[in-house]
Formats: sequence, structure tokens, C-alpha cells
Amino acid sequence: MATEQIIAPSTPVAAPQIVAHKVQPERTGWTSWVTTTDHKKIGIMYMVTTFVFFLLGGVEALLMRLQLSQADNTLLAPSTYNALFTMHGTTMIFLFVVPMMAGLANYFVPLMIGARDMAFPKLNALSFWLLLAGGLVFYGSVFFNPPECGWTCYAPLSEATYSPTGGVDAWIFLIHLTGLSSLVGAVNFYATIVNMRAPGMGWGRIPLFVWTILVYAVLLILALPVIAAAVTLLLTDRHFGTHFYDATAGGSPLLWQHLFWFFGHPEVYIMVLPGFGMISEIIPVFARKPIFGYKAIAAATVVIAFLGLLVWAHHMFSTPSPFIVLVFFMLGSFLIAVPTGVKMFNWIATMWRGSIEFKTPMMFACGFLAIFLVGGITGIFLAVFPVDWQLTDTYFVVAHLHYVLMGGAVFAIFAGIYYWFPKITGRMLSEGLGKASFWTMFVGFNVTFLIQHSLGLDGMPRRVYEYPDVGNLQIYNQISTFGSFILATGILLTVYNVIRSLRSGAVAGPDPWKANTLEWFTASPPPVNNFDVVPRVRSVEPMKDIRAQIDRAAQDAAEREPALA
Amino acid sequence: MPSKELGAELRRSVDRLPQVVGSVRPNTSRPRRLALSLTAALVGLLVFAPGAFADFWKPESGGSPNADKISDLYVYVFIVGVIVFIGVEGALLWCIVKYRKRKNAVADQIHGNTNLEIGWTVGAALILVVLATITFVMLPGIRNPPNSSAAGLNLNSVQYAVGPGSGKQPPNGRSLNIAVNGQQYVWRFTYPDGDTNALNNVFAYEQMVVPTNTTVTLNIRAQDVAHSWWIPKLGGKFDAVPGYTNHTWFKISKPGIYTGQCAELCGRNHANMIAAVRAVTPAQYRLWYVLQRKQIQASSAAVAKLRPGIGTPKSQADPTLAPVPGNGSPHAAAPAAAAPAVAAIDAKALFVNGKGQATACGSCHVLAAAGTKGVVGPNLNKFIAKDDTVAAIKDMIVHPNAEIAKGYAAGIMPAAYATTLTSAEIDALAAYIFKNTR
Repeated sequence: MATEQIIAPSTPVAAPQIVAHKVQPERTGWTSWVTTTDHKKIGIMYMVTTFVFFLLGGVEALLMRLQLSQADNTLLAPSTYNALFTMHGTTMIFLFVVPMMAGLANYFVPLMIGARDMAFPKLNALSFWLLLAGGLVFYGSVFFNPPECGWTCYAPLSEATYSPTGGVDAWIFLIHLTGLSSLVGAVNFYATIVNMRAPGMGWGRIPLFVWTILVYAVLLILALPVIAAAVTLLLTDRHFGTHFYDATAGGSPLLWQHLFWFFGHPEVYIMVLPGFGMISEIIPVFARKPIFGYKAIAAATVVIAFLGLLVWAHHMFSTPSPFIVLVFFMLGSFLIAVPTGVKMFNWIATMWRGSIEFKTPMMFACGFLAIFLVGGITGIFLAVFPVDWQLTDTYFVVAHLHYVLMGGAVFAIFAGIYYWFPKITGRMLSEGLGKASFWTMFVGFNVTFLIQHSLGLDGMPRRVYEYPDVGNLQIYNQISTFGSFILATGILLTVYNVIRSLRSGAVAGPDPWKANTLEWFTASPPPVNNFDVVPRVRSVEPMKDIRAQIDRAAQDAAEREPALA
Repeated sequence: MPSKELGAELRRSVDRLPQVVGSVRPNTSRPRRLALSLTAALVGLLVFAPGAFADFWKPESGGSPNADKISDLYVYVFIVGVIVFIGVEGALLWCIVKYRKRKNAVADQIHGNTNLEIGWTVGAALILVVLATITFVMLPGIRNPPNSSAAGLNLNSVQYAVGPGSGKQPPNGRSLNIAVNGQQYVWRFTYPDGDTNALNNVFAYEQMVVPTNTTVTLNIRAQDVAHSWWIPKLGGKFDAVPGYTNHTWFKISKPGIYTGQCAELCGRNHANMIAAVRAVTPAQYRLWYVLQRKQIQASSAAVAKLRPGIGTPKSQADPTLAPVPGNGSPHAAAPAAAAPAVAAIDAKALFVNGKGQATACGSCHVLAAAGTKGVVGPNLNKFIAKDDTVAAIKDMIVHPNAEIAKGYAAGIMPAAYATTLTSAEIDALAAYIFKNTR
């Protein structure tokens, strides 16, 4: 293929393969959004919708922190508090992190692999609308009786005898609808990544974010049918007289826990792996260095996913389970630390001997590394089952899971937002506001959650709406509540930054970061067809090759000019 | 003590921390260095300040050897964790500071280093091998209950009867085996009394009284939703799940009250489902036990006296329960032998309400016709086969351990119905159950 093609996408030289006979003007207005099958518009709808749910989940968290800021507080009724933590957990997992990853992947996977859309554009629209429907059904229960069984909805508490209202049913429909949405999306991602890559993009040249989305899709396909079955059994237990989880009729409450966590633990990796992918994209760009150990990182992603399917019962160490089961799941959980550690070391080694530019995305990426490490280390505490007997179901676990999910997912998502906002909107976010947001969030996060380890060690179980004023419980809780409002301020700074920059941000241009992957090859925001010409890919960093080629061309031209003179 | 050595080593490395960090960061400004050493000092102070802040960084302990050993194991994991934390966060900080963009700095275009990558993969795996080894070494002390001490409760007492479905026992096979039952939102403790009828035992709610220096083993069950038994100073959590029996143990040497609460979400009042273990000397325990039994008998008698007055069916009061014979109501004093003929027995009422010491069938069994929903025993609508005759059902009532339903343990159902009910009553019950399980 001629080099000119690669250099200048805006002025394609080669003859177009399709000749347009009639050009329809691009539609605008709300109908263009409701009827769209464009992966970028769907991606934006995903991201905006899930961010709204993120803010709702955040408000729920702040209400809980307010309730806990005083011992024996009477601000919230127990039923309200239980509904709040159920909504918070469910929202953050099913309506924010997982679909936010789907949104980012929707927008960027086709761009990064040089495709013009997803493999099945209409299915893609379907997955978004299913997600929205799931969210609306779930939040509709707020006006009736929201569920109070926690995001894990353990049977028999979630059975009709103990949760007679429709809240649990709303939760079940949310799982079904968002699950269907994710399944349809996962099939779509898989088909797109396997079939629609740019020429030359072999398995060893796929961007690491795309690798993680591929694994994310496979994990969703493996894990979601199990939870779909589990909640269907719960639904028939509740309404059609079956007894799957009813010990009084030979059913088993532990069956629910096994089915739930067989989905629930892979779900953790479904949530954090795409975050790992974004970090693997962002660190090399800002360290101005290639990723250290591309193959090891890609392989570690696959190994984490595989092991992630084999460790679910480490959520159940305190249940009546045979000793050998405890040992198996302890050792399995240990094993997962190895590929995760490999990733961590590779990211740090990517920064080593680099020339690191601390733009906001890079700061969030570093924040991710610092926070996620703590979550990984406390994960080892919880994997040692005798230690877990003391720590499980306490605030230690709450702290651990927020270090993993805030670190592994939310900080990565914010890094992604700051990194890709210029591509999506064509405008830069304010660096000043971005850095202020990062530091506020970083400090707020650690003030909120570090102390929660101590809360758990001091004997405070999770999911309690009140606690007595004994020991240091109240002061620890007050520190945590104080931190949560700092964290919220940091998040609002980013919201403000986004709204402000939509109108008045500096114009970004196609490649403001001098990045490595193909999404930066096209205009910002990209046209509907993404690329007029798809370049041939010759490494993991096609944009670096293209820039080098342009430099060489310019040099050649400079050398030729004196000769002409 | 290895833990002390490790602790000292950790303390030394924390002391060194400001110098280590300072040495790799030659360009650190004064305020930043000050902040770092202050942080290190603060962390050191909080972590190693004895006593007041113990719960700040490690689990509670000091009640029972298993809790102490879990705490020790936690400390070893903590030490490894701190070393990894300092190493990795240190490397991260070092890279952030050392390799921030400077004028004319060019990034090295390194794609990887196979030896290095194999090295840290193996390194990470080795750390985990060490942790697994430590865990397996510590496990027996955490899982296996020891024998009671000489100062504990008398080993030959009937109190040591090990109840049905018990878990691990001490080497000499003797422990005070208490059944813990989680219910929304209270804990019930049933003490062993040597017979297989679990319904005439001494029981208590919320506070479990136990003798010191005595190994106490627990059979943990739930009767409605899942709960979790947790007294932090006496070891970890053990979920109480309907249909299952979970086990743990503790052995307290210091008298006192050890508090905890349910740790598995069990409904709106989960936060107030508290639990406490009060450890007293064996002598005090014996006294408490006798008093508790008397109190239960007295209140049962009082209820038996009230029953006829509040409209329950006749013949419900059991004379064997009355502590002082002859002072009850005419109903309570009626001898069992004078029971009316079969025709006059209300079998459904007997099934639902029981009679005196004969616990109601319905409190443990489902029977649709009686509308009962007990979960302790098998569902009679399913368990009673079509070919079971009235005589077979009668045999099941009188000899409950002859045939055990799949998934249920022997010895749960009272084996004393032959004495607590008249044969006429048993006939009526068997006929009633037969009729309603067709």
C-alpha cells in the first residue's frame, strides 16, 4: 500500500471503494439519538446514562455516610438505610461500572481497531436500550418499595416470606434486563474484535484496552447466564411455588450463594479488567515509552480471567463448607495475585526511564496504581480464610472492595474520561480543574476508605444502620463521612469541568496527546464513518509509526529542497 | 517468639523508611521530606502504640486461643503486606519523581525484559508460597479445639454430652456443646442435658453463659434467614444458614463479658441482633444453670396455668412440668392416664400446639393441612410416602431415629413421645398425619 495513504487521511489519494451518489445531511436533534445505530452516539448515550446513575449512587452513599456520622443516629429509618445500600451497590455495579466500560468500549473499540462501526449496529442499540430499561425498572421501585436485601440479595432473606414487597422483583428484572444488555453487547464486542480489525492488526498488535474488552466480553458470556438462571429460580420461588432456595422444602440457601458468586466474582474482573486496559493505554502515552512487556500484560489478562472463574467461594469462607473447599479457594485466590502483580510491575516498569508528562489522565492513572495496590494487598488478607473469618462482612471488606473498585474501575474511568474527552468532543478539558479534581478525589477517597479497615477491625459489621458509641467507632465513622464529602467535591469538579469544556474548552485537534492508537488517526470528534482510509498496522503503536513516517517524509522533502535550489 | 522478631524487624524498617525514601529522592524539598517523615512517624505510632490502638490495625483478640492465633496470622500477613506496599509504592513514587519530564530528557524505548518479568512473576509466587505455608502451620491451632483445663467444668458431668451434628471435638472428645440458633433478630442458646430431646433443655437468649477454662463447641443453625455468629474476641464468623449446621469453638480463661453481633444482613433490625458470651467460673456456671432451669420451669408452669384461661384447647397442660405438684389448675393436675378417648382428641390441635413436654409436631414440620411451616425437620407432605401406613407413621413418631430423612441429622426429633403423649394421642396423631398426607 502506498505510504501517502497512511500519512494523510484527510486527503485520500487512492480511489474510494464506494462512490456516494447522494449525501444525506447528518441528522441532529433528539430523534437522531433515539434512532441511532452509530457506535459513537450509542457510546455517548451509555456514558451519559451511566454517569447519571453514578451520581445517584453517590448521593445514596453520602446519605449512608450522614446516617453513620453519629452513633445511634436516627436520621434514616432502618428500612431506608437498607434500601440505600442495596440501591448503591446495585447501581454502582450494574448501572455504572459495567455499562460505563461498555460505553467506553462502544466508542473506542471500533476506532482503536480501525473499524467503521460495531459488527452488529442494531444489536448495539438494543443493548443500550435494554440497559436503560433495566435502570428505569429498578429506580421505579423507589416510588413503591425499593429492595432491602443488599446487592447480593441472599436467599432466604430475598424470598417472598421475608421480602414480600416488589422491591426484590424490581431487582430481579434489573438483573435480567442489564444482563441481557451486557450479553448482547458482549457478543457484539467479540464479533467486532475478532472480525473487523484493520489490515495488519494481528493478535500481537491489538491495543491492550481492546484485549481487556475481549476478555471482558468472554467473561460476561460465561458468567451472566449463571446469574440469569439464579434470579429466575428466585423469581419462581417468590411467585410460582418452587423451593430452590427454601431449606424447609429441601432447597438450599447456599445454592443461591454459589450461583451468585459464580457470577459475582468474575463480575469483579469484568469491572476492573477494562480499567486495567485503559491504564495500559494511558501510561505509555504519557511516559513516552512503549508498554513494558505487552505480551505479559495481555497474557496476564487472560490468566486473571481464567482464575477469576475458579475462586468464587472465597466470598463464602464463613459458610458451612468443607475444609478442603476452603483450602482450594484460598490457594486459588492466592494464585490470582501473581498475574495481577505482573501487571502492576509492568506498569511501573513502563514509567521507569521514561519522560513522564503529568497531564490529568496520567495523574488519575498513577492514582489508580497507588489505590489499587492497597486493594490487592488487602485482598490477600481476605484470601487467608482463617483471617477472613474475622474480616468478612465487616467494614474491612467494604474498604477492600472500594480500594479495588474505586481504584481499579473509577479512577481508571476518570483517567479514561480525561484521556478521551478531546476525541469525543473535540475539546480539551481544563488541566487546572482536572488536577484539582484528581487531588480532591485522591485525598477524599483515602480519608473515606482507609479508616474503614480499622472500623472493621474494631468490630463494625457492614450493612448496619446504626452502631453503639463504643471504642473508636464514632470517630472513625466521622473521619470516613468527612472524607466522603471531599471525594464528592472532587467528582463534582470533574462534572463542572466537563460541562464547562463542552462549550469553552480549547480545540483539541485529532491527536492532542501524541498517542499510540488508531482512534487518534481520525478527526476529533470522528466523522460518522470514522475513517476515510484505514492505515495498515505494523506494530502495537500504529500512530507512533505514522508520526515517524511523517517526520521522515518531511526530512526527505527538506533534503530534496536544497537540491532543487 | 517469631512474631516479636518480625515485629522488631518491621519496626526497624519503618524507622529506616524516611532515610530510604530520602536517599532515592535526592532532590526532595524540605517540606516534602518533613511531611514524609511525619507520616512515617504517625503510621509507626499508630501501628505500634500498644493497647489503646490495637484494634486500629489488627483484629480483636484476647478471649480465646483461636482468636489469638487468627490475630497472629493476621500480623504475619500484615508484615508481608507492608513490605510489598512499601516496595511497590516506593518504586512507583520513585519513578514518578525521578522520571518526570525534564528538558531534553528522552524516554528509553524499552519493550520489556524477559528475565526481569520472569523474576517478578516467580518472586510474587514465592511470597504467596510463604504465606500459604505460614497459614497451614497456624491452621491446627485455629481449627482444632483443645482439651478443657483442669480448672474447667467437671469432665464427667452430663453437661459434656456432645449433641447431635457436632463438629470438631477436643482430643479427649469432651466439650460443652451448645446449640446456637439465629432467628430474626435474636440468638437462642440451648444447653445440653444428656438426653436426645432438645426441647426440655435449659436455654437462654442473647447472652450465653459459659464456664471458664472449658472448651465450648457450638452447633450454629438458623431458623429463618441466614445470620452470622461473631464474637470478635472469641474467633471468627460462622454463618448460620437454614438447613445447615456450622461449627466453631472457644475456650475462655478470663471471666468477663465478650460482645459481638450478627454479621450477615438478616433484615431491618440486623444492626441490633447483638450477642454476648459471659464467662464465669465453673462453680458460678453450675449455679446459673440450676437457677436458669428453675426459672424456665416456673415460667412454663405459669403459662400452663394460664393456658386454659386464654382459650387454648383442653388437656394441653402437662402435669410433669409443674414444679410443685398439686398447686396447678384442675387442668394442669389432670393425670395423663385420664386422657379422653381417641374420638375426643383434637389431633390437629395436638399437631399444631403440642402438649406440655411433648413439643408440637408443627413447630418442626410442614404439614399443609395443619398450616404449619416448621423448618427443623422434613416436610411431612413430601417425606411421608404414599405407602406409609398409619402404623408406620406411628412408629416414626415413637422411634424417630429409626429412619432418617435425607439431609437431616439423627437425634434432632424428640425420642420421648411415647412417654410425653398417651398412646391414644399418638394413634390420633398418626391417623391425622396419614389422612393429610395422601
